[in-house]
Order: sequence, then C-alpha cells, then structure tokens
Amino acid sequence: MKAEDLKNNKEYKYGFTTEIENIKSPKGLSEETVKFISNIKKEPKWMLEWRLKAFNRLKVLKEPNWQKPKYPKINYQDLYYYSAPKSASEKPKSLDEIDPKILETYKKLGIPLDEQKRLNGIAVDAVFDSVSVATTFKDELTKKGIIFCSISEAIQKYPELVKKYLGSVIPLSDHYFATLNSAVFTDGSFVYIPPNTKCPMELSTYFRINASETGQFERTLIIADKGSYVSYLEGCTAPMRDENQLHAANVELIALDDAEIKYSTVQNWYPGDEKGVGGIYNFVTKRGACRGKNSKISWTQVETGSAITWKYPSCILQGDNSVGEFYSIAITNNFQKADTGTKMIHLGKNTKSKIISKGISAGNADNMYRGLVEIKNKAINSRNYTQCDSLLMGNKCGAHTIPYIKNGNATSTIEHEATTTKINEEQLYYCNQRGLDQEEAVSLIVNGFCKEVLQQLPMEFAVEAQKLVAISLEGSVG
Amino acid sequence: MKQYYDFKIEKIKGLSQEEIDSRKKNLELFYKNGFPNKKDEDWKFSDLNKILSNNFNNISNNDYLFKEKNFKQIHEFEHNFISLFNGQIISSDFSYEEKNKISLKVFNYKNEKNLDKKNSLNLLNHALASGGFSLEISKNYKLKKPIVIYNNFSNSLNETIVNYKNSIIINENSELNLINYIDNSSKENFMVNTIENIKMRKNSSLNNILINNSKCNGYFYKYTKNDLEKNSNLKNYLILSGLKFNKLDIEINLNEKDSKSSVFSALNLVKNEHQEIKTRINHNAPHCHSYQKVKKVLNNESKGVYQGKIFVKNIAQKTDAYQLSGALILDDAAEFDAKPELEIYADDVKCSHGSSSGSVDLNSIHYLKSRGIPEREAYELLINGFLSEILEKMQESELKNFLIKKLERQINEH
Repeated sequence: MKAEDLKNNKEYKYGFTTEIENIKSPKGLSEETVKFISNIKKEPKWMLEWRLKAFNRLKVLKEPNWQKPKYPKINYQDLYYYSAPKSASEKPKSLDEIDPKILETYKKLGIPLDEQKRLNGIAVDAVFDSVSVATTFKDELTKKGIIFCSISEAIQKYPELVKKYLGSVIPLSDHYFATLNSAVFTDGSFVYIPPNTKCPMELSTYFRINASETGQFERTLIIADKGSYVSYLEGCTAPMRDENQLHAANVELIALDDAEIKYSTVQNWYPGDEKGVGGIYNFVTKRGACRGKNSKISWTQVETGSAITWKYPSCILQGDNSVGEFYSIAITNNFQKADTGTKMIHLGKNTKSKIISKGISAGNADNMYRGLVEIKNKAINSRNYTQCDSLLMGNKCGAHTIPYIKNGNATSTIEHEATTTKINEEQLYYCNQRGLDQEEAVSLIVNGFCKEVLQQLPMEFAVEAQKLVAISLEGSVG
Repeated sequence: MKQYYDFKIEKIKGLSQEEIDSRKKNLELFYKNGFPNKKDEDWKFSDLNKILSNNFNNISNNDYLFKEKNFKQIHEFEHNFISLFNGQIISSDFSYEEKNKISLKVFNYKNEKNLDKKNSLNLLNHALASGGFSLEISKNYKLKKPIVIYNNFSNSLNETIVNYKNSIIINENSELNLINYIDNSSKENFMVNTIENIKMRKNSSLNNILINNSKCNGYFYKYTKNDLEKNSNLKNYLILSGLKFNKLDIEINLNEKDSKSSVFSALNLVKNEHQEIKTRINHNAPHCHSYQKVKKVLNNESKGVYQGKIFVKNIAQKTDAYQLSGALILDDAAEFDAKPELEIYADDVKCSHGSSSGSVDLNSIHYLKSRGIPEREAYELLINGFLSEILEKMQESELKNFLIKKLERQINEH
C-alpha cells in the first residue's frame, strides 16, 4: 500500500507509521534469536534457560488447526522477533528525554503520557514495539508498595516474584503460540499488588506494533496478593500495512485469597482493508488463576480489530468461593474473522462464573463464540450462567456458537442460553421516524445490544469503546 | 492398547467379487482409524475405543446363524410389524393395511459404494453390513395402524457386532407412525451398528419412535440420515433408557421450503449407562422449522451427552430453529456434557438454544413432602414431570399413553 493511499484511507485513523531507527534481532526463529533477545535485555541465566526450554519444546509442537478461521501458513523464519527504537537503548529517566517522535505517536493515539492527561489518574506503561518506553506514576505506586513496571525490569529487580509466577498459569508447553511467546517474548507489563492494598488508580498499557515484519510477543504478569484489588486496562492499535502481522501475547493473572483482578481490553488492531488484505493475526493466550479463597477475576473485552482474532481469556477457579467473569463484545466487518470465547474451569467448592458474550457480524465476516464451562466432580455447589447473543447484518456473514458444557456433580448448576437474530426492523423504523439516519440508528441499537458488556468497562474506556462500535460498523448497512 | 477386534468379510454369504473388494477397502480404512476415540471431535465426550476395550476381549462380526424366531409382542395397541433378528427380516405383518401400499424388501447392497472416511463406524458398517430392510409407503396413503419394528437380538450374541442398513421412503402425502422397539435382556456384551436412510417426499409425515423395553448389555450406535422435501414433517421420539451404551447420530436435511422436524428425547440413566444424542440439523431452504428438546435424568455413575448442531445456509431465510437440553443430575458420580452448536449464515432467522443442568429443586421436594408425599415419591413425581414433558404435544393418544406408561416404568424401576 502506498503512503498516499494510507493518507486517503481515513477509516483507520491509527494507520500511520513512525519513522525511527530500530534495532532488530537477526531475522528468523533460531536459538541465536532467543539468545540475542535474552542478551540484549541483559537477562539472568535462569531466564535464558527458561526461554531455551520453551524453544526446544517448540520444535516438537505443531500449530493447532481446529479453529474456524483458516490463515495462510506463517513463515516463522521470515519474521523479526525483536525490534526496538534505538533511542531507547539507553533508557530515558524522564519524559523529556524520550524521542519526540515517539511522544508524537502516542499523542496521535491519545495515550495519557503527558502532564495534562495525568489528571485522568491513569498510570501508563507504554510498550512501543518491544521495549517499555516510559512508565509514569511509578513514584506514587511505589509508596503503596505496588510494583508496576516492564517485565524486563521485573526480571532484573524482582527475580523471585517472576520466577515463582511466570509460567504458572500458562505452562511453557501449553500450546504452540504460548510456547513461541515463552521463547521469544520481548516485553510487557508486570504488576504486583501487595497484601491488603487497593490499587488507587487504573493501570494501563498501550501496545503498538510499529516496525513492519515484526511479530509482537508481549508477556504480561499480574499478581494480586491477599486481599488486594487492581483494575488493568489494555489497548491495542497497529499501523496499516498490506502484509499480515502476527501478535502472540501471553497474559497471566494470579489472584490470591480475597483478591480481585479486573482486566479490560479494547483491541483495535488493524483489521485489513475492505477486500481483506493485510491486518493483524491476533493469537493471544490469556488465562487467570483464582488461586485463593474468595478471589475474583473478571475479563472484559471489546474486540473490533484484527484480521483474525483467536483468543479465549480463561479463568481457573481453584480457590473455594472464587468467582470468574467474562464480558465480551466481538465485532467483525468486511473479511474479519473472530474465534473467541472463554474457559471457566471450576475446581474449588462454591465457585461461580458468569459469561456474557455479544457477537456482531457484518459484511463477509465470520464471528464465532467458542467456550468451555467445566465443573469438576469436587467443585460442589458451583454455578455458571452463560449468555451469548449474536447479531447478523446481511447474509454473507456468519455467526456461530460452540459451547462445551461439562457438569460433573449433582449440586452444581449450569445454565446456558444463546440467540441469533438480526436487527429488529421495527426498532430501526422507530429510530428513522424520529429523524435518526440509518447508521445512527444501527449504532444506537447495537450499543444497546452491547450495553451489559460496555457497563463493565471503566469510564474512559467505555466512551472510547462506544465510539469504536459505531466506527467498526460504518458502511455495513444500507 | 491391545487389539480387541477381528473382523472377517468371508462370514457374509453371497457377495460378488466387486462387493468384496469395495468392502475390503472400507475395512482397511476402518483398521487404520480403529473405533473412534475422544480425539475425534464427534466423540469428544464418549470415548468409544476406551469403553469397548475395557469391556470386550475380542469383538468379531456375527455369522448370521441363529435359531430363535419367537419374540414378545406388544399387546397394548393394534399394530403392523416387521420382526428382525440380528438385523435380518424374519417375519412381517401388514394385515391392517390395504394391499400393495407397503413394500418391504431386504436391503439391497448392490448399489452401495460409500466411503465416508470421517466416520469409522460407518466404514465398519459398509464393510460388514448384511440384512436390514427397505420399506416404502406408496403415494397418498395414510397407514391405519402404526408399524412396529421388533429389533430382536439372539441371546447367543456374545462379543459380536451386528451391522445392517435400513432404508425408509415415505412418498407424497403419506403418513406413518413407526416404532423401533428393542426388547432384549441379554447379559452378554454385544454391539449393534446401524445406518438408516429416511426419505420423505412432499407433504409426507412420519413419527419415528425409538423405545427400549428392558435392560441389556448392548452397545448401540445408529446413524440416521433424513432428507425432507417440501412441507414434510418429521418427529423423532427417543426413549431408550436401559441400554448399556447408546449413541444416536441424527442428521436431518431440511432441503425444501416449509419442512419441519423435531427431536424429543427422554432418558433416565442408571448405573454406568452411557448415552449420547448427537444431532445435526441442516437448514438448506427457507421457511423451515426445527425443534429439539432433549432431557436426561442421571443417576449413579451414568453419563449423558448431548451434541446438537443447527446449521443455517445463507439462502435459508426465515428459519426458525430451537434447541433445548436439560439434565437433572442426581448423583455426584454422574456427569452431563453438552455441546449445543449454532452455525448460521443467514440473517433473517430466529435461532436459539438453551442448556441447563443441575439437581432437583429442593423447594419443590419440600413442598410435596409437606403435603404428605414421601420423599421417594416426590422425586419420582418431579422426574416424571420433567421427562414426560416431551410427549405433551403428541397427538396420537393411544401411542402417547403407551409411551407415558413405558417412561413411568423406566423411572420407577430405579
């Protein structure tokens, strides 16, 4: 795609690229690449060994192929696994030292890095390609004992915590993409909330894939110690390119006794153009473990981007009385494909889970909810409620629901319901009658359809998400 | 894993060389895959390979030699019948009906050249099937009495598998009530693998009832393919408690406008019985209806599985599809698994599914007890209400009463 075309294409407003010098690892996936990444990050020996273990495991693993959206074979030898802005090799100590071009990029994205945005009370760990560029609000958080830094920094400074929890929810050998991530992950966020602490502000990371031909492999690890609370926001955008880019992140959450983690995602990666050329392959592994009693993990996601979204944020409910929640909106338009859902594994007694999933499909898109609810034999008195609704616009798109339900004891209850319909014509007519044009009316009705999920998002995100819902569906009616 | 099966095509008499070759091909493919296991998506919740290898030492195909000809008939209502022993037609009686309206023949294998690589049990059936029947109902004929198919199996069947195919054609404007009746109390392990093709022409109607009468150690698998033409109406009733293992694999193709299909099932499983109902409803034409209600009560170490899929093609606008599965789990060792799937490519449709599983409502038990009903009876009452709901809409009152009584017996025997 030529630069001129990009300029004219207004629909994806984050489709700019930033021209800055990058340090790249040698091309391709090899032991050298793994060592290069580990070396450039000055990682301790145990970390390199861990990566190599994953790399060796990767040799015998095969890419899974049970998913609905098929994609052309990815040439892993043709990718760069590490790319970092040169100026970041020497880490800036304050915002003033940061490459102004990077700041410019973030300004375009609307990330609250600067003073004025600070009033929003959001601490940001911004990941520009592979290196964490700047972390704000660190001081305030440090006072409370909260650790919020890049995972590379955590490996250096808090090796004990990282050693203990890294890979404890998503094991090294889990599946192909998770293992790939374990071998070559470059950066990501690390959060530790000490016991009985309520994180005073919402933590947030903005990921951005910039350099072309790079896969982004970030790794996030969030630990909420006993009695603590944290709300974490993640947003994603990527520049517009006509090749497909791979994004294979791993996110691990651990909630100990009485702790609560709320994880919200607004995913707005480049979805490809109207003909389905380009776009991100978003193959992400997200999993949370409610290790302690009365712990709670809640996932909220708004998925509007990516050519292919393939992810299942899951909860493993180990502690007695623990709670898992999953709220999701997945919007697919043009040639986008989504295969997303959740897994709720009930192991502890009196565990509860709730799944609300809304899928909207337009154009030639395919939207799939795939989920697993499994109540093990010993998880007595457990309960699950699942609702997944799909909305179809036009007869070239598809909406699918594949829930797996396993109930293993007599005192647990599982309820599941799903519906598939189109936009109610009477509602549309009513809106038209009152002077709303077709697109406004659709956006209004769709936002109403998604309300239960949007309500779960923190304020700033909810507004952005509502706008995204409207933008994603532009041109799909008429 | 030990090799626990050994099949010989030579046991089947009267085959042409061409048939033998085609059957050998099927058998080779079967040997490649073996019996389906849980890695197979369709068998995710019922690992047949494991179940069989735990219960059988050496399965072989039957040699079709048997002497029994007597069987217990149903006395509750007047009916025509076809009697099968190990899949072979023994006798039939259509004395209630007009002559030349019903044609019954032994299934003709000459034109069968199936190679369904995905379903290894079908491969096995193609390789070893013998016997079975072809039933055809003439145009514009409404049968006066139902037809009962007595599926008898000799008690000498031990460590054997019986394979056969049936075909049923119901021509334009005709109506049939069909009852597949299994009554076997054999303590021996045996297996039955059936393929049934049902074709329903314009405006035809069929009540297809599958019912089991006593307990036996049989392992059953039946694959049914139903093709429906314009305005035809198919209703399936599945009341099969008592079989050690049973999987019904039902495919319904709604190929023309206004066709309707439904699947109703009530199962009360005890001990280590394992039953699965798998449906695939293909909405291939607009204005079709499908309805499914699958209910299970699970006691002891039983396992109930439901895999239901509704597929709606992009031209199938105005589709109305509904799917409901419910399970009462009465014992911690029992398990219920479900996979209710929707795959939809048309937008002007009404599709929904619901699935719930849990225990009996204790408030209702308390309510009944406080009115002087003993606990056991209270449970029976609630279970009965839960299961017999599937028969509510049945219009044939004589049949309905018969089925309600059978269902009650299945519940109370526990």
